Amino acid sequence: MKNLSNKEMTSWLFLAPVLFIHLLVVAIPSLSSLALCFTDWNGFGKINFVGFENFLELFDDRVFKKAIIHNLIWTVLFLTVPIALALLAAFLLTGVKRFQMFYRFVFFFPYILASIVNCLIWKYLFHPIHGLAAFFKDIGWESLATSPLTTKETSLYAVAFVDGWHFWGFLVVIYITAMYQVDESLYEAADIEGASKWQTFRFVTFPSIRPMFLFSFLIIIIWSVPAFDYVYILTSGGPAYSSEVVANFMYFEAFRNMNVGYASAVGALMFVYVFTILGFFWTLRKLGWEI
Amino acid sequence: MRVISKSIFYGIITTSFLFSTVAVSKTQISWWNYSNEGSGLNAALTQYIQDGFNSSQSEIELEIIFKEGEYNEATRTALLAGVGPDIVSSSGATYVAKYVEGGFLKSLEGYAEKFGWSDKILPWAYNTGVFSDELYSLPKNYESMLYFYNKTLFEENGWSLPTNLAEYEALAAKIQEKGLYPFAYGSSGWQMTHEHLAGNYLNTVAGPDNVYKAMVGEKEWTDPEFVESLELLKKHMLAGYWSGSLENYYAVGWDDFSAQFQNREAAMLQIGSWGFEIATGLDGKSDDWGWAPLPILTEEGGEPNYQLSVGGTLSINAASKNPDAAAEVLNWILTNKDTIIELTKSRNFGEWLMPLYYEEADFAGDIEPKLRDYLVDFSERTGNGNYGYTTWTYYPPEAGTHIWKDMEVVWAGDISVEEFLVEQQKLWEKARKNNELLPIAAR
Repeated sequence: MKNLSNKEMTSWLFLAPVLFIHLLVVAIPSLSSLALCFTDWNGFGKINFVGFENFLELFDDRVFKKAIIHNLIWTVLFLTVPIALALLAAFLLTGVKRFQMFYRFVFFFPYILASIVNCLIWKYLFHPIHGLAAFFKDIGWESLATSPLTTKETSLYAVAFVDGWHFWGFLVVIYITAMYQVDESLYEAADIEGASKWQTFRFVTFPSIRPMFLFSFLIIIIWSVPAFDYVYILTSGGPAYSSEVVANFMYFEAFRNMNVGYASAVGALMFVYVFTILGFFWTLRKLGWEI
Repeated sequence: MRVISKSIFYGIITTSFLFSTVAVSKTQISWWNYSNEGSGLNAALTQYIQDGFNSSQSEIELEIIFKEGEYNEATRTALLAGVGPDIVSSSGATYVAKYVEGGFLKSLEGYAEKFGWSDKILPWAYNTGVFSDELYSLPKNYESMLYFYNKTLFEENGWSLPTNLAEYEALAAKIQEKGLYPFAYGSSGWQMTHEHLAGNYLNTVAGPDNVYKAMVGEKEWTDPEFVESLELLKKHMLAGYWSGSLENYYAVGWDDFSAQFQNREAAMLQIGSWGFEIATGLDGKSDDWGWAPLPILTEEGGEPNYQLSVGGTLSINAASKNPDAAAEVLNWILTNKDTIIELTKSRNFGEWLMPLYYEEADFAGDIEPKLRDYLVDFSERTGNGNYGYTTWTYYPPEAGTHIWKDMEVVWAGDISVEEFLVEQQKLWEKARKNNELLPIAAR
């Protein structure tokens, strides 16, 4: 304490209320949850220590394994499709001079809508009797007259599509913001050199927004782990676990099967995974990467 | 004048104080209930139970507090923290079992004896609240699974209700030939709908005796009659009995299947007794409707049964400072059958139909006669031992969720019915080993 200057003390004092609240509502519950993963607690009764039994059972759980694979697919989907579309849209929008705020609003709009609203819209559109399927059936396109949400081969991709539809506008906005920070003279130089649109993007825009791009990459990897609301509302992980993800599995175990200890083990593994990813990016930063 | 005014002023103050003292001295009893303001539940409970009880006496003040969202979670958190309401309501026996295990509920055994509750509640329903020989919860509502059908449509086509498997399949084929769905139903928004169908087939194919034996460990769930039940369900599901196809069934929710039944897209509806709400939707239209117990789906058919189900329970918090007053509230409910009938009537008999001993005379003339017939028939049939078991009242948590969650895997063809039942058997054995079985009265 003696070594702290007055300025540092003041900083800590300002931080103290936030740290206290964080400790109370985040750190302590998180640590308790970590402790529970070594127990068989059902959320009500006695708590028995079971060592690593929950983890051993998890590694043998076919639904959990399926959920992990789905989360990996989910992550890959979100690291590719929304990012590619958002980069393209942001790059094209930076060249639009009129109504740009309008376009930004249009892209961002689904992001500010509540997930339940987005889901209901798409649930109706994907409805096999009343939705687009009925329209395709009427015009004779029988192969498209199905519901992607209730077909096990497509349900995961359909849910990811709906979630991606709401999410990509967020990426567009942060990429546009980053693109506006790029030094105009670099574009002028590229123009003088006769660079094509693609070359301008490849050698001027993209390197300049790389920190923002990597940031979006990082948050997508992290946010893909607790992906829950869209899955829960649209399919509840079905049909036949075809769209099951880890967070939905954890919720189900904790609140339906009343296996709180088991669900905590899932939470602990999610925690370890996120920290590993953060550690990886932190290491890259230490190695001098601009992240 | 000033003196008089002053006297009046002090008089008013003193009187107010005395009144407030009287009000404060009343024993306060709190009760948490889930909220459903849109459907009028909150207003009905306040009117019939809270105000009804409070105006019936002057010692106890009951307050019903309506909890938005998942009230079981709010209740669980409060109980774990050693607080919560005096009267604890829950969604069913699964929660009660866990609360009892955690020591959060007060035994009602003494009150049951004192007030004679076992004489007021139907025995099978009373027994669902008995854990380790002690009563811990009272049943708030009872339900069963039924058939609703479009009577006019049946008459127009010369169809009749099936009494065995052959007739059932023949009827479904005829309805499908007409371009209609045999049954309106779907699981969108309520995945647990699968367990209604699974329960129906287990109780009408394997039969309640076998289901009972499997539940108490005298048979295995992998036995052939259970395999046959779920194979038949799978066959009918894939044949599009419910909303035309498996894909449609997964996409159709309450509003959709209500409309299917009311708009002649489906000829029948296989649902719980809460389906009266949907069937009465036909009342303003030209079509008439009817109901029937589920037919026995074997070659020879047989006497239909009603599956027993308790939806919702009432208990007393072990941490309550006034358990005796809380028991008085519960006893008032059980002894005021007229109020309960008025309350459940205001809920279209879908809620708060307490499993009490009802007679035809209990129901006033303005009750829907079909509904009255069902209530009386239910009492008679179940009283004669023709009853089965719903999964959500009698299955332990993991086996109960497995039966609907993994049923989709069977229908998808990812696992066989046999493999599914092996898992089901394991979960029952696990529950038995961990003493997690729910109360099942001997047949």
